[in-house]
Amino acid sequence: MTMPMETTETTTDSEVDTEHPWQVLVWNDPINLMSYVTLVFQKLFGYSLEKATKLMLDVHEKGRAVVSSGTRAEAEADVHKLHAHGLWATMEKTEG
Amino acid sequence: MLITRIDTDRFIFDVPAVLRDTVIDLARQLDEELESDNPGLHRLFPTAYADDPERDAGYQVLARGELIDGRRTSLTTVIETAEADEFDGDTLDAWMRVVNDLRLVLGTNLNVSESVDWSPPPELESMYVVYQWLSILLGHIVEAQLPDEIDLDIDPD
Repeated sequence: MTMPMETTETTTDSEVDTEHPWQVLVWNDPINLMSYVTLVFQKLFGYSLEKATKLMLDVHEKGRAVVSSGTRAEAEADVHKLHAHGLWATMEKTEG
Repeated sequence: MLITRIDTDRFIFDVPAVLRDTVIDLARQLDEELESDNPGLHRLFPTAYADDPERDAGYQVLARGELIDGRRTSLTTVIETAEADEFDGDTLDAWMRVVNDLRLVLGTNLNVSESVDWSPPPELESMYVVYQWLSILLGHIVEAQLPDEIDLDIDPD
């Protein structure tokens, strides 16, 4: 993403809820603006500015972030919404 | 500010004509090419199942048409409001999606990189100027939708 911000904040994207067998990942790309990605997370998932910003920074700094999880149908619906907004999203089965 | 929120669902859209015309021209081009196999469009239709080509093929069958239809709806809204100077939230959202899609297409064609050493090829410098204009416009569209009390302190690049 463009517009890098100075930060030392770190989080993990490996927290897995075993009741939600599929997770949705958003991957870093060099085109999407950081402010746009944050707003999309807020709009699509109802996340607070703080949570959306943290996820955006995870994407930017770690290369990816888990932004939601659920059944396969739920995850696929989230991926579709992210694709409609131009974000690079994939889904995969959680491990364990 | 190019875009100012004047009520919960009303925005003044004070964007210079040259930038507005550029968006409309590019939107018309994208509308014409949306269903083509132009490789510059691949970021608009990403893979969903990175490790499962069979499942991804199924996703693409179902999703691609819907993604095209959604993008065409937004493109139509933008083209129809080319001259408007006051938008509701849905119209501003359509402009946001279209401007972002145009950035994705131009950025793909430019092969934009986050590397500090990256610069556009000389023959594509004018395209990069347009890309930067769209970045500024998108930044303003995003900022206009933020709640008043929040300041992300993020400026376009």
